[in-house]
Amino acid sequence: MDGGKFFGAFRACSGIRDAVVLTHVPVGCNWGAAMFKTTSNQSDIRHACTVMHEREIVFGGEEALRKALIRADKLYNTPLLAVVAGDAPAIIGDDIEAVIDSIALKKEVVWMDAAGFKGTMREGYEEALVHLAQMMKERNVIKKSVNLIGFCPDDFKVDADIKEIKRLLNSAGIRVNCVISNCSFDEFVNAPAAELNVVMGQGTELAEHMKKAFGVPYLEVDYPYGLEGTKEFTNTICEHLGIGCDTEQEFDLEPFKRIYLYLHELYGTPVSVIGDFHAEPIAHFLDCELGFDIEVLASNEDDYFTFEQNVRNSNTTILFGSSFERNIADELRIPLIRFVYPVFDHVCVYEDAPYAGFRGAVCLTEAILNAVMSFGKGR
Amino acid sequence: MRKFCVYGKGGIGKSTVVSNIAAALAEDGKTVMVMGCDPKSDMTRNLVGKRIPTVLDVFRAKGPDEMKLEEIVFEGFNGVYCVESGGPEPGVGCAGRGVITAVDMLTRLGAFNDLAPDVVIYDVLGDVVCGGFAMPLRKGLADDVYIVTTCDPMAIYAANNICKGIKRFADRGEIFLGGLIYNGRSVVDEPSIIESFAARLGTRVMGRIPMSELISRAEIRHKTVLEYAPNSEIADIFRVLALAIFENEDRKIPEPLSDDEFDEINDEIDVLLRGKRR
Repeated sequence: MDGGKFFGAFRACSGIRDAVVLTHVPVGCNWGAAMFKTTSNQSDIRHACTVMHEREIVFGGEEALRKALIRADKLYNTPLLAVVAGDAPAIIGDDIEAVIDSIALKKEVVWMDAAGFKGTMREGYEEALVHLAQMMKERNVIKKSVNLIGFCPDDFKVDADIKEIKRLLNSAGIRVNCVISNCSFDEFVNAPAAELNVVMGQGTELAEHMKKAFGVPYLEVDYPYGLEGTKEFTNTICEHLGIGCDTEQEFDLEPFKRIYLYLHELYGTPVSVIGDFHAEPIAHFLDCELGFDIEVLASNEDDYFTFEQNVRNSNTTILFGSSFERNIADELRIPLIRFVYPVFDHVCVYEDAPYAGFRGAVCLTEAILNAVMSFGKGR
Repeated sequence: MRKFCVYGKGGIGKSTVVSNIAAALAEDGKTVMVMGCDPKSDMTRNLVGKRIPTVLDVFRAKGPDEMKLEEIVFEGFNGVYCVESGGPEPGVGCAGRGVITAVDMLTRLGAFNDLAPDVVIYDVLGDVVCGGFAMPLRKGLADDVYIVTTCDPMAIYAANNICKGIKRFADRGEIFLGGLIYNGRSVVDEPSIIESFAARLGTRVMGRIPMSELISRAEIRHKTVLEYAPNSEIADIFRVLALAIFENEDRKIPEPLSDDEFDEINDEIDVLLRGKRR
């Protein structure tokens, strides 16, 4: 189940934490995009919308956009206004660029054509980041610094994961220059100061662009789930930067020893996983470190009906996915571990309980055990 | 309730035909409603004597909840209820969606139930350019379609395209082709060409409107011929055509012409044109 280009562009833009995102769409698209974003961060309201109704569809949405731009420019004290145009204006042919050019606004404005029918969520994310990159400035390189690319502000556990990944890199002597897209406008503008771009699952087009425009090399790595995944993640980056690091020191097997009987019992448990680029590395952790058997591994760009059928026809006893998988998990009466966007029926506000990194491996294992042990008992 | 649509290339005489047959049916004692589905919004001018506010004008100004039926339905000559869908300015918005919105608003405000017309006639923009302009072909809004055409190749081409749209909906049993209406106002006035075209489509010609100065004179005065020259021969032609359409039950799924078949008709017109020059 892919949200389409609009959702990808919206997520990329709203990751500039002090930007206001103006969506030029009907009310439904706006509500969907906003709802997924605000589940775990309800005070982060930087979101405006033209709220196109039938009147705007018939007579054009340019006037509504003009008014919304002026209002958003006045209401929000932010450096950037990102306009994300969805399906309806693309179908009726609103001339968005002309509207923006016709008004003198205090803020920087970028806009993107993100009609959902024109591509996948991933494509929307990639294109939006490249659009936003026009704001970046050439900077002197800060040695041993990296940008982390591939995040969205509404990823499940995003703040906790970033905190853990930063802790790991910092302890190896690496500075995180900018997290894209979960950073301030200023950090985004100064992203070319990094020595290396680390692409974690998505954002390759931005990395390519920055390589050409600013000479920043990039590296593609898997999202760091599990002990081995984290070790590989950190070592690869250190190696690329020519830094020696001892990740073994970080390893703490003590928490796993405390629950070894349960882990032993769960060895060989058949599970299924669905998600975006997070799915494969988490499946690798479940398979290689916890010893689970992966029955079905699917991407959210795959056919969802086929995924459901494959899960029904398998021996799956735990499902890993998003809130969208609640129905199939309920139907099969199995626990669902939410780990990937969109998660709208769980919150994650504690920033020291990640799923990524060494600490994340412990938290994730704990979540799996608790889900299994409490399942069916007034869950 | 008898409901039908009139389609045809722009400027071919659809509004002339619709306004006159509406006036003729009203004269015959029927309650008639006409709806212009063209952003130009000038179909009902001959019936009312002036332009009327359109459904979308009122929709834009007041919104869907504040609109009233009397703001969008106007009585014209012989008591014909006149409605114009209207639309956006050229180059912005979506005129096709406008047609859908206008028909929805008309239904929502009870135009068909409260006014209880015996006949509803839709006059639709030249070509079925998108789903919006095919709206009157859908949801049982009309029983059948009549296409106005001259002998001009582009008019026949447009008529053939319209038949492609009709076939799509006719195959689902939603609407059918009632026939062609021949307008003789063209460089070549050869009814046999349209008879031949109709036969290839699997339909027939319902009537022939000859070139007449009276039509132009009436329209300059924003009147139908039935009002301007009620005792004229041309007024009688409209009366006969109106009744023929009203009573027609011979509805067909059209078989639109292929490009090669269309070229054959083109060749026939070419021969006639050469003969005319000599």
